[in-house]
Amino acid sequence: MAPGTSDTGAAGGQGAGAPSDSRTRHTRLIIETEEGTKTMKTIVSVKSLNKRYELGKDNYVDALRGATVNIGSGEMVAIMGPSGCGKSTMLHMMGCLDTPDSGEIWLNGRRVDDLSTRATTKLLREEIGFIFQGFNLVSTMTALDNVALAAQYAGKSRRESQTMAREALEAVGLAERAAHRPSELSGGQQQRVAIARALVNKPAVIMGDEPTGNLDTASSAEVIDMMREINLLTGTTFILVTHDPDVAAACDRVIHMRDGVVTDDTSRLVAAAARDAERDLERVA
Amino acid sequence: MRMFRNVFRRKMRAFLTIFGITIGVFALVVMGSMAEKINLLIDGGTRYYSDKVVVTDGSAGTAGFTMTPIGVGRVAEVESVPGVARATAGIWMLLDENGGMSMGVPQGIVGNDMRAIDLESFKLTMKEGRDLTTADRGVAVVGCDIAKALNAKVGGTIDLRGKPFKVVGIYEKTLTAPDNTVAVSLYDAQQLMYAQLPDIIQKQIDPNQLATSITAYPQPGVDADQLAATIEGTLPNVTASGPQVFVDQFKSMTKIFNSIIFGVALISLLVGGLSVVNTMTMSVLERTREIGIRKAIGASHRQIVGQFLGESAFIGFLGGATGLLLGYVVSIVANMLMESSGTVLFLTTPRLAIGAVAFAIVLGVASGFYPSFHAARLKPVLALRYE
Repeated sequence: MAPGTSDTGAAGGQGAGAPSDSRTRHTRLIIETEEGTKTMKTIVSVKSLNKRYELGKDNYVDALRGATVNIGSGEMVAIMGPSGCGKSTMLHMMGCLDTPDSGEIWLNGRRVDDLSTRATTKLLREEIGFIFQGFNLVSTMTALDNVALAAQYAGKSRRESQTMAREALEAVGLAERAAHRPSELSGGQQQRVAIARALVNKPAVIMGDEPTGNLDTASSAEVIDMMREINLLTGTTFILVTHDPDVAAACDRVIHMRDGVVTDDTSRLVAAAARDAERDLERVA
Repeated sequence: MRMFRNVFRRKMRAFLTIFGITIGVFALVVMGSMAEKINLLIDGGTRYYSDKVVVTDGSAGTAGFTMTPIGVGRVAEVESVPGVARATAGIWMLLDENGGMSMGVPQGIVGNDMRAIDLESFKLTMKEGRDLTTADRGVAVVGCDIAKALNAKVGGTIDLRGKPFKVVGIYEKTLTAPDNTVAVSLYDAQQLMYAQLPDIIQKQIDPNQLATSITAYPQPGVDADQLAATIEGTLPNVTASGPQVFVDQFKSMTKIFNSIIFGVALISLLVGGLSVVNTMTMSVLERTREIGIRKAIGASHRQIVGQFLGESAFIGFLGGATGLLLGYVVSIVANMLMESSGTVLFLTTPRLAIGAVAFAIVLGVASGFYPSFHAARLKPVLALRYE
C-alpha cells in the first residue's frame, strides 16, 4: 500500500479504559498519516463483529466474520469492498438498524449492540443520521416536511421542527426547494434533502449507504462536496459505504473489506481538500 | 392534510373502503332514526299511561285501543272502587274507517268527556288556536303531523268519517301519539261512532252512552297497577290495564326493533371492519419501505402505531361522516315524501349522529390495530431492503 498506511486496528487507548463489560468507555484513536500522527476521540468502535444470515435449511451467509474497525470523531471514512463483503451489514449495525450475533459496537463511548428498542430509537434520533442510496424520502411529503419529520420524531414541536428543517435545507443549499415533493426534485437534490434530514438533529455520526450510487457524475460531485463541507464545518463524522472512487478520494481514510472482515485501511490527511473547501465557502459567503 | 394524502394515495381503494363504512353507517343511521322515532313514541306512551288505569269491556283484549264499547254509565261504577280519584269516559277510533296499515302510531280520532283534565299529567299545549271544551260541537283540534296529512288549518274544515269539522286549534308537537290524533268532543265522537254501527245495534244503544274505554286516575299514593287489579276484582266484566301492561307491550315491540338495529350494527362492523383491516394491511405492505425510513430516522413504535391507527381512524371518520350525511338526507327526504300521509318515520337525534360517527371511528381504530402493530414491529433494515 502507499505510504501513509496506518495501523488503526491497534489504535491506542483501548486497554486504558474501563473493563470491556462496562457500558461506557472512552478511548482515543491514534492515526498515522503522511503528515504525522493524529490523535482523536474514538466515535465508533467495532470489535469482532459476526453476523450469519440464515437463508434456509443448511444454507446461510456469513456476512461478517470478526470485523473490527475504529473511527475517530470528525473523520470522514469510506468503507469499500466487493458486493457481499459485509460493508453494508456492518454500517447498519454501527447505526443500530441491525444487531450482530456476537461482537461489540461502541458509539460515542457507549455500548450499543444490545440496546433495547427504546434506547435504539433514542440513539437514532439524537446521535445517528442516515443517508441511503435510494434517497428514501417520504414521497407524499415536501422536502421541508421530510426534514422536519426527523426533528419531530426527536420530540421537537411542529413549529420548531419546521424552523430546524429550514435551517438544514439552507445548509445544503435547497431552501428555495423546500415546498417541493421528492418527485419534483432531481436525484442530487433529493440526496441533499436526505443529507439535510440526517443533519437536522445534529447527530455525532452520519452514515451513508452508497450515497452516490444512484447519481450521475455531476450530482455525485455535488453531494460529495456537500458532505465534505458539512464534515469540515461541523465536525460531524461521516461513515460512507461506497463503490464510488470519487467518494473514497474525498475521504480522510478508506477501509477495505472482504469476506466479512476488514482487510486494510488507509488514512491520509486531506489538508488540501480542506483548504479547497474553505476557499469555496469563502467564495459562497 | 398529510393523513389525507396518505389515505388517498390509492384513491380507488380508499374510496371503496370508505364507501363500505359509509354503507354500514348509513344503514345504522336510517334504522337508528326509525328506532329513535319509535323509542320516542313508546317513551311518550309509557309516560302517558304511567299514572292511570284503562278500563275496557271485559270481552275485549287487554289493549287500550279497542272497538268494543263500554257504557258511559260505568264511569260511576269505576269511581266507586276504593283508590280511584276520578274516572273519565273516552272514545278512540281509527281516522280511516277502513283501517289500513301504518308504521308507528295509527291515525285516530279521540273524544273525551274531560272530567279529569286537571288530573292528567300528560299536558298538551297549543301550537295554534284553542283547545276543545265539552260544549264544542262540530269542531276539532288536530295533532301537528296529522294536520299536514289532512291539510288542516285553523279556521279551515276537515272531513272526519264523512262529516265536516271546523278546525279550531293545532297541538304542539309531542313526538308521540297525539301528533297523529284528531280530538273532538265526546259528544261528536259518540255521534261519529254511532253512525258507523249497524242498524240492528243502533236500535239497542243510546249514542250518549258510547265509550271505548274509561280511564281511572288513582288517588295520590295509590299504585296504578294495584288499582287495576282491584278494579278487575271489584267490577264484573271489565278489563283494567295498569301502566305495567303497556310497558310490557311496548317493550316487546322495541325488543324486535332494537335487535334489528343491533344486527345492522354488527353486519356493518364486520363488513366495514374487515375492509379497513384489508386496506390498512395493504397500505402497511406497500409502505414497508417508508416504515423502514421512518424507523431509521428515529420513529418509535408508538409513533408508527399512532400514524397508522390515525389513518385508519380517519378512514372510519370519513366513512362515518358520509354515512351519517347520507342517512340524514335520506331520512329527511323520506319524511318529506311521507309527510302528506302524516307519517313521520325517522328522527335523527344528536345522540344517534354522534354515536354513529363515534362507532365508525372506533371501528376504524379497532381494525387498524393489527396492521399498525405489524408495521411497528418491522425491523428497519429488512423494511429498508423491501422493494
